[in-house]
Amino acid sequence: MTKQTLPNDKPLMGKIITKELECEDTYKFLIELPIKAQRALPGQFIMLWVPGVDEFPIGIAGFKENILEVGIAKMGPGTEAMINKQIGDLVGVRGFYGKPFKPPQDVNHLLIGGGFGMTPLKLLTTTLLEKDSKQNIHVFEGARTKDRLMYLDWFQDLHDKDLITFHVCTDDGSYGYQGFPTVDLENFLQENQTPSVMYVAGPEKMMKAIFNIGKKYSNVMDMQMSLADRYMRCGFGACSYCAVDPTGWRICVDGPVFNTEQLEQISDFGLYKRLESGEKVRI
Amino acid sequence: MSFDTEVGDIQLRNPLILASGVLGTTYSTLQRTYEAGLGAVITKSIGPRSRIGNPNPSVFALQEIRSVINSVGLANPGYSIFREDIQILNENKIPTIVSIFGENKEEFLEVLNGLKDLSVLAFELNLSCPNTEKGGTQIGTDPELVKEIVSMLRKETEIPLWVKLTPNVSNILEIADAAIKGGSDALVAINTLKAMVIDIQTKMPVLGFKRGGLSGAAIKPIGIRYVYDLYENFGDKIPIIGVGGIYRGEDIIEYLLAGATAVEIGTSLGVAYPENMIRFFQMKIKKYMKEHQFNSIKEITGGAHR
Ligand SMILES: Cc1cc2nc3c(=O)[nH]c(=O)nc-3n(C[C@H](O)[C@H](O)[C@H](O)COP(=O)(O)OP(=O)(O)OC[C@H]3O[C@@H](n4cnc5c(N)ncnc54)[C@H](O)[C@@H]3O)c2cc1C
Ligand SMILES: Cc1cc2nc3c(=O)[nH]c(=O)nc-3n(C[C@H](O)[C@H](O)[C@H](O)COP(=O)(O)O)c2cc1C
Ligand code: FES
Repeated sequence: MTKQTLPNDKPLMGKIITKELECEDTYKFLIELPIKAQRALPGQFIMLWVPGVDEFPIGIAGFKENILEVGIAKMGPGTEAMINKQIGDLVGVRGFYGKPFKPPQDVNHLLIGGGFGMTPLKLLTTTLLEKDSKQNIHVFEGARTKDRLMYLDWFQDLHDKDLITFHVCTDDGSYGYQGFPTVDLENFLQENQTPSVMYVAGPEKMMKAIFNIGKKYSNVMDMQMSLADRYMRCGFGACSYCAVDPTGWRICVDGPVFNTEQLEQISDFGLYKRLESGEKVRI
Repeated sequence: MSFDTEVGDIQLRNPLILASGVLGTTYSTLQRTYEAGLGAVITKSIGPRSRIGNPNPSVFALQEIRSVINSVGLANPGYSIFREDIQILNENKIPTIVSIFGENKEEFLEVLNGLKDLSVLAFELNLSCPNTEKGGTQIGTDPELVKEIVSMLRKETEIPLWVKLTPNVSNILEIADAAIKGGSDALVAINTLKAMVIDIQTKMPVLGFKRGGLSGAAIKPIGIRYVYDLYENFGDKIPIIGVGGIYRGEDIIEYLLAGATAVEIGTSLGVAYPENMIRFFQMKIKKYMKEHQFNSIKEITGGAHR
């Protein structure tokens, strides 16, 4: 029987069936799970267990029946151990956790991201493309250099097929225009008065800057941002290490995606996070 | 009909208290959970210094038995930093109980003295966390040490001291007796049960720390039994607070009947939205009180001892 979603349970052991270098220090994995689920929603995440090493949150880049796609960027020992896994190896998956992006009808969809923030945006793009009517999708991606652009070929291909508009840039000009994604984003918002919704995933400081830009434009109906700079243990709401002040919302269940109205209430947004000990520090 | 509750000298608007370690790491989750309708909240256990706790996986659910296993390992920022969170709770008038732990007498003393100037409803002494080598289980299983620590802290403050008992002992009555002799103002039972999960595919323990503690529905009958035994032996001397596996309003009634004056709730508030759970709890208690013609919580306490 196909379940609605995976059960909130101990790690479900899945087998790695594909491993590919996606961009510098970042790998795409397809993981075959032992049970089927109807869908994963864009913005949701899993807790990925690398047996004997660590368990950490990872965004969902794609999901069909029982095949899960993730993109892993090398950060420290946990992600490195995952990157060293081979086809056939088993890893544990808990999830799907968290609130997804909620795209409304009849708006320009502006997807803005960088780094591993592109993983939920990939699934969001897939979901938008599956809709019956053609959607107006703009993807804004930025990275230091061409080698660090995640899913470059995938988004470029959709752009070439005229399914999305891909606004790509690098700090060094090695691909796309030289500069930050906010340049093209602002150009777009100035030139297009039709209602737009922004979906953002990336480093929190960048998101805060984008949030401040978006607030200037009355044609921006909503900004939905995925907060991922928080330490997580349980992933389902019990431990509260991931919580934000002053609302007490847990990133793992009340987020990770928050809308404009919610972001306004999170005074920690872009400024503070909590460490593994619970200590609050500047981002 | 009233939910008013008294635990010794402490007045609460109802008998529902947030258990330590669930939703208790930040002032904001504590405040949110209180505002959802609890009588009081208990912080994550706070020690003398910052601890990052055990490696992940450190908390996951066991769906079949509606339970959670954890080996968080008392990750906390230390009392000198956590003071700030308690101060905000004070400013916002949230009835706060602070759970404290130490690896020995001196550490308990240091933490208590570092926080006792704040507005704290009670200190809950976590003598029972099974996750660390030196603190936790060792202290809570040694009656002499329990008595020594409680009586030492008793001399330092007028703030009520609640002793939280571990179920991982052969004779809980002996430990409870020691806590009472030391001057404890309430007994809290139970903390998590020693537990473990092994993945049969990789043949590896799943928790990063390998061993952990079980909470949630599976431990409720054990908690009920301990509260019943404690009430039978000490019910006339000291209030008993029941904790372990409360998922429904019925479970709260069951703890009260076993002899609890109030209850603590952890896991079920964490795996769901605390707002919804607390509303359900209150509705159910109200319905039960009406059906059984109880006017106060106090009248229910110990009702199963006949
Ligand atoms: C909702 C969410 C979605 C994410 N999605 C992806 C993704 O799709 N792809 C990807 O590559 N990375 C993703 N991450 C980040 C990923 O979880 C961290 O890079 C990873 O935990 C680093 O572990 P490490 O052992 O390699 O590095 P470490 O050296 O242990 O840590 C490096 C940094 O990673 C962060 N981190 C470590 N452990 C955790 C944890 N348990 N929870 C949260 N942050 C942690 C901390 O900021 C730490 O400073 C996501 C994080 C979150 C919160
Ligand atoms: C994730 C988690 C962390 C916990 N941390 C603590 C703690 O720091 N101190 C403590 O005294 N108890 C701790 N506990 C135990 C709970 O307070 C409670 O005694 C136990 O979970 C049983 O109640 P429950 O079934 O309602 O959760 C923790 C429990 C969980 C699930
Ligand atoms: S990770 Fe435990 S509450 Fe969010």
